[in-house]
Amino acid sequence: MNGAQHILEAFHRHNISTVFGYPGGCIMPLYDALVDDVGVEHVLCRHEQACALAADGYARASGKLGVCIATSGPGATNLITGVANAHRDSIPMLVITGQVPSGLIGTDAFQETDVLGMALGIVKHSYLIDNADELPAILEEAMELAEGGRPGPVWIDIPKDILLTEVAQAATPTEQKPARAQTDITDALAMLRSAKKPLLYSGGGVSLAHAETAFREFAEASGMPGVVTLKGIGNAGKHNPNDLGMLGMHGSRAANKAVDECDLLFVVGARLDDRATGKLDGFAPNARMIHIDADAAEINKLRPADTALRGDLNSILEAFTKALKDAPLKIGDWQTLCKTWCTTGGFHTADNEEALAPITGPAFIRQMSRITPDDTIIACDVGQHQMWVAQHYHFDHPRHHLTSGGLGTMGFGMPAAIGAQFADRSSTVINVTGDGSFMMNAQELATIRRYNLPVKLIVLDNQCLGMVRQQQELFYNNRESQINLDDNPDFVAMARAFDIPALHIERTDQIRRGIETLLAYDGPMLLHVSISREENVWPIVKPGGSNKDMIDEPRRTNANKEQVA
Amino acid sequence: MSQPREASKPSYTLNCRMAHEAAALERLCQVVRIRGFRISRMNMESAGGHLDIALTLEGSRPISMLQSQLEKLHTVASVDLELGDRVQSCSA
Ligand SMILES: Cc1ncc(C[n+]2csc(CCOP(=O)(O)OP(=O)(O)O)c2C)c(N)n1
Ligand SMILES: [Mg+2]
Repeated sequence: MNGAQHILEAFHRHNISTVFGYPGGCIMPLYDALVDDVGVEHVLCRHEQACALAADGYARASGKLGVCIATSGPGATNLITGVANAHRDSIPMLVITGQVPSGLIGTDAFQETDVLGMALGIVKHSYLIDNADELPAILEEAMELAEGGRPGPVWIDIPKDILLTEVAQAATPTEQKPARAQTDITDALAMLRSAKKPLLYSGGGVSLAHAETAFREFAEASGMPGVVTLKGIGNAGKHNPNDLGMLGMHGSRAANKAVDECDLLFVVGARLDDRATGKLDGFAPNARMIHIDADAAEINKLRPADTALRGDLNSILEAFTKALKDAPLKIGDWQTLCKTWCTTGGFHTADNEEALAPITGPAFIRQMSRITPDDTIIACDVGQHQMWVAQHYHFDHPRHHLTSGGLGTMGFGMPAAIGAQFADRSSTVINVTGDGSFMMNAQELATIRRYNLPVKLIVLDNQCLGMVRQQQELFYNNRESQINLDDNPDFVAMARAFDIPALHIERTDQIRRGIETLLAYDGPMLLHVSISREENVWPIVKPGGSNKDMIDEPRRTNANKEQVA
Repeated sequence: MSQPREASKPSYTLNCRMAHEAAALERLCQVVRIRGFRISRMNMESAGGHLDIALTLEGSRPISMLQSQLEKLHTVASVDLELGDRVQSCSA
């Protein structure tokens, strides 16, 4: 068995059934081996960036390892954005690239790039294989590393000659570094019990640790009002009465208010990212902090924790739940106060009832949230539409909301939706995108068509780079610069060119019908939604500003000040 | 002619032990740089399958933050901070 065949055999043994890739010179031995292999489905995307982003979407939706493959040189450089995206959001991913033959490394050979050097800052770990006999052990180690502890992408760069060399069969199990754990909850529990206004602050770490159930039971047992980060959306489920929704730059006034007022922050699987905390100086000024995370390096990174617990979130949360079920917290007044804030300072804006009125992003997403089935997976792109989804769509599970949080990668949505649909063939998968983001990976319409994936595409078209336009309007004296997209192609015609049916809507009374048509269609379909160019995402905190200084939609400012004072 | 003096930043010595792999030093230095420290002196010895690297670093951020980031690297076995005549040890 040569190196290439061994890789496929290892995939098979690890139940890796789907991989995303694109062939080329130095990876050809692996593609040759694929011709014979029956156990692994290779998905040919139309750009390596999309391969990596599809592997990322696959991993997010399934909780399993995502795998992407490319050739050396331009294949590897094209992967970079997708791998960085996975790195910033701690997504388990195995990246395999072909490299020029060992003897040519360092000679500026055709399609040679220093992949190991180039990728250092965007991987959890990486390897350049220089001995075929090491391949089996490295593969095992890489898969374990990618998924273990705080997950992340692991990249193996393999010279072409090594793919062709016979390798020894047995993979010697490698020694893993023992994770440092700190799981005694005694101090944290005492701190929690002494708090009068404790607030649960959760992030993407919950689902990364597969701790969704443990988290939900804990949230219910504690009764703590909760806020979530962008990646934590869905943690509490749709029906938790104490959920205040997303905090931060585009969070709800209620969520930011609760952070400002609480006397204890109970942080679970979140890294206190600047988009969530705003200026750290003014963040949760009256609160002590309990920080629970799998990654020791997150603790005390940005704000010192009064008590920290490191390790498996499942067992830590279960210990709290047990203690709280025996003796619940007495925080009724605080719960009531937070609910009042939620009523007056949540993401509620009245829908426009006028049939002929132009569609607004928030109104569209709210309607979508009402109509779509509970297990719908939404893969967003980046921009205003992404924030409207985060604010107005009610998610019941964090794996239903695929969003590029750390890197904010325009073009993430369509490949991620493709990956998610491969991970879950029966659920409805919808890519909500903007007119700018759609064009970043539009070539993937061909992948959707080729595999006849029933992915639904919704383009919220405001004829501009809306999020940039909004910040130019608010923070740069409305000096618009390079955001105009009024010469967009005809998206409906474009979809049809890929043999994907498409519809266009522009009036409020067409929203419901449009979404229902999309959902009813047995196959891929695109819905092109013209929305107002001037609509903004509200509220907003100025980048670098304090969450306390949220700016509200001007016409609501006075009313809100009175209500959430 | 005397040079203008830079405002001096705290200086630390870290002793790292890591596996002798292809990109070991680059990996270490990349983390040091991106986490806000400057290497003012570096000594490396290779012994058996590992490297012992002594780094003298300058930076205004808490050194513990860098230490915990370095410990996370898969091929780093230990990172010890020299505190005068004491050593604060952390096995990764
Ligand atoms: C690859 C990439 N380039 C640039 C940006 C900066 N950026 C963030 S949002 C945005 C505008 C997105 O426009 P569109 O997809 O139309 O969404 P809208 O904000 O209009 O809803 C830009 C350019 C980015 N996040 N990603
Ligand atoms: Mg747009």
